[in-house]
Amino acid sequence: MQNDQLALAQTRGSVDPRVKRPLPAWVSTTALLLPTYGWLTLAVFLPLLTMLAFSFMSATPMGKTPVEFTLKQYRAFIDQPYLLRIGFNSLMMGFWTTLFCAILGFLAAVALVRATVGKTREALLVLILLPFWTNGLVRVFSWTMVLRENGFLDNLLHMVAPDAGSISILYTRYAVVLGLVHGYLPYMILTCYIALVTIDDAIIEAAASLGARWWTILYKILIPMAAPGLISGAVLIFIPVIGSFMEPRILGGRVGVTMGTVIEDQFTQAFNWPLGASLSFTLLAVVLAIFATFSGILRRGTAG
Amino acid sequence: MTNVKVKSVAKTYGPIPVLTDISTEFEEGSFTSLLGPSGSGKTTLLRIIAGFIKPDEGIIMIGNNDVTNVPVWGRNIGMMFQSYALFPHMTIAQNVAFGLERRGIKGEAARKEVDRALEMVRLSGFGDRTPKQLSGGQQQRVALARAIVIKPSVLLLDEPLSALDRRLRQEMQVELLRIQRESGLTTIFVTHDQEEALTLSDKVAILDRGRIVQIGEPETVYERPLTRFAAEFLGDSNFLSGKVENGAVRLSNGTVVRSDSALPGNGADVTLAIRPEKMSLATADSQPNRLSARITTVIYAGPVLSYILETPDGLPLKLFAQNRDGRVLREGETVSLSWSPEHTIAVAN
Amino acid sequence: MKQIGRFYLIAILVFLYTPIIVMMAMGFNESPLYELPFTFSTRWYEALLANQPLLKAGANSIIIALTTAVIATTLGTMASVALSRRTFRGRSLLQILLLPPIAIPWLITGTAMLIFFYWSGIGRGMHALLIGHVALAIPYVVLVVGTGFKTVRADLEEAAMSLGSTPVHAFFSVTLPLLYPSILGAALFAFAVSLDQFVISYFLATPGYTTLPVQIYSAIRKGFTPEINAISTLLLLGSMAAILIFARFAKPGDTRDKR
Repeated sequence: MQNDQLALAQTRGSVDPRVKRPLPAWVSTTALLLPTYGWLTLAVFLPLLTMLAFSFMSATPMGKTPVEFTLKQYRAFIDQPYLLRIGFNSLMMGFWTTLFCAILGFLAAVALVRATVGKTREALLVLILLPFWTNGLVRVFSWTMVLRENGFLDNLLHMVAPDAGSISILYTRYAVVLGLVHGYLPYMILTCYIALVTIDDAIIEAAASLGARWWTILYKILIPMAAPGLISGAVLIFIPVIGSFMEPRILGGRVGVTMGTVIEDQFTQAFNWPLGASLSFTLLAVVLAIFATFSGILRRGTAG
Repeated sequence: MTNVKVKSVAKTYGPIPVLTDISTEFEEGSFTSLLGPSGSGKTTLLRIIAGFIKPDEGIIMIGNNDVTNVPVWGRNIGMMFQSYALFPHMTIAQNVAFGLERRGIKGEAARKEVDRALEMVRLSGFGDRTPKQLSGGQQQRVALARAIVIKPSVLLLDEPLSALDRRLRQEMQVELLRIQRESGLTTIFVTHDQEEALTLSDKVAILDRGRIVQIGEPETVYERPLTRFAAEFLGDSNFLSGKVENGAVRLSNGTVVRSDSALPGNGADVTLAIRPEKMSLATADSQPNRLSARITTVIYAGPVLSYILETPDGLPLKLFAQNRDGRVLREGETVSLSWSPEHTIAVAN
Repeated sequence: MKQIGRFYLIAILVFLYTPIIVMMAMGFNESPLYELPFTFSTRWYEALLANQPLLKAGANSIIIALTTAVIATTLGTMASVALSRRTFRGRSLLQILLLPPIAIPWLITGTAMLIFFYWSGIGRGMHALLIGHVALAIPYVVLVVGTGFKTVRADLEEAAMSLGSTPVHAFFSVTLPLLYPSILGAALFAFAVSLDQFVISYFLATPGYTTLPVQIYSAIRKGFTPEINAISTLLLLGSMAAILIFARFAKPGDTRDKR
């Protein structure tokens, strides 16, 4: 150290003559990562493991009933056949929502790419995505204003046809799907847009100059190009939709019974946590299976 | 000003050795180029000297100090990067003052130093601009000013000119050399451009697969390459291989070639390197070493003519000739080549 | 064709915004039963000022969102430094582990948190909400700041170190000022994520400690009143503002001179 100081003094002088040795890289890397992953462990990973354990219990271990380990919670689908029907309804709700989002969103992405440029396109994208980042609950609530009896839609109809009867599609499955499509459409537009924006105009012009009709361009160029976006959009919509509970509750009323609302009930009304846990885990298994199937496409589709 | 010593430095990444047993000295005030293809370890060696990478083995000395365990920020080095690495959120003056500030030099004293450094790189009056407002060449000169204003013990340059276009690059070479001479800084310069290395350096070190295969003055390295790789990487070479026979070399086609190099004993395999410009088309007063070959391609480049030839037994050869009498040989002609034993260098494979 | 395309996009925007605008308008309608004709009134906004539980929930939401933004941005930025600038074994695994909070339906995460927090004695309430919200916001922060890192060359820090900066000084004097738009963007994002979070809050809130979305949900389930419209409008405008400011700050590749 003495030497260090002398030699460096001849030049400009060391920055700090007592230069400390740096910590080994792994120490600082660990220190940087530990808070985040510690937090995620506490808030996400341990809870999921605990829920897994709960799903094998015979009763909520908070009451007086003795608790045993059992598989009966997972037999609920056999013991209570109505759960199967609800599960099927949830899947159908996911299917229709995803399908409508795919059609509307794909066309919107095509329109964005083909019919707009520059600042207009940027502004439209921001406008389309803006609702997506606002409160979902509030957006669902806003549909009740439109769909309810004597609501916006009803009044609009009566302006056109004063004699028509009152329409109210609030508290129907249509209302639920409508609300869900409204909520998730921006996602599909975004993923399809990312996939399509790379298409060179020249490809389409070349195809058109070769005599391709618009449907040929659609089937041979646009849909294949948008496929990764369509698939990742579909996965990212289907998954939250089959787990949704507040949209069916608010827009579906009594007909809006889904896996999501059944699970919610187990935790807030029935206090049957093990059943809720096993249903949650069944749902999670479906989610993971979907992710596993499409993981390759998802990675590419969302990379942009 | 100080010298830099590297002793038995080795570095591996996983199973791949990047540097193997490197020992060399960079003399005080000298300009040394580390020359080699990508993957030869030249950049790794520079970064080890800088302190960004810790060698697995060996020590680094700057002056009389063992700095092997001193981190970058304690080594008092000046460094220029391939990208200019100027801080985009600071003005030119702030960029140059950055290192001074770290050394506790502030205010008026710092301002004077910055002005002097900017003057040295001919950018006086640019202090208030931002890097974005400067051209590539100007940014590079700011980077140089920033590196030398701290009066570093050693100046390390990591291919700093490779992002510039040809003309600017030649200008910067002259500039760099002038500033290096004026400041007398021990300079280590990484490049893959052989011409740049030859023009700028007091010494050239040629690296091949993690080893320094030869280090010396540019002239020595060029005229007396020690290995086939050095002969090939720095400039062009023709290679002839054969067996030693009575102090000369007999090629596989029977031709006997004389060399002034020290040759191994009778019967040993040996490779000879001959620079294409050292060969000439045979005339009456030609050199003792001769080969006949057929011209396959003629490249006419104005002052210099390049001939690509092939011997009857299929050996490819190159010959550079001064375009002195305007006579150009035709493709397909068979000619006789000759060269001197002095320019016939025995190289290790 | 272009005309059809533009017309279609306008139709999509009408679909997206009509319910929101109708909802907002109804908050300014005099009638408690949403009866038309429309009579402009601010009575529901005035009523908000007297609605103590709602105001308290609103204050809770903002406090939670601010705290979440600060904690998640700090932790997420730290992790992002390691994930973006260091190479180590298991890095890609750690990156994958950021996905569950985003990708698993909140219903599952929320119920899992409820079970674990109850069982482990952490319980419900403000601290539980905070733990949950921060966990949801961290992955977004890491992603946003990670994108920012791609625009800041790694050799800038090396240049600073060669000039005498310790890694810590190099980070604070060079990287952080250049990363600042991304970090600010990430903080706004975390704020918006927390402010809008309903599902997790719903399971972790207690009768004495709720947030605005939870309060709105229970109000909706009791029956619609224009007061809900009023508070919803405020919440919507709040998060829209946060997102628009975010979009302004976190433009990728943005390296404008900040001086």
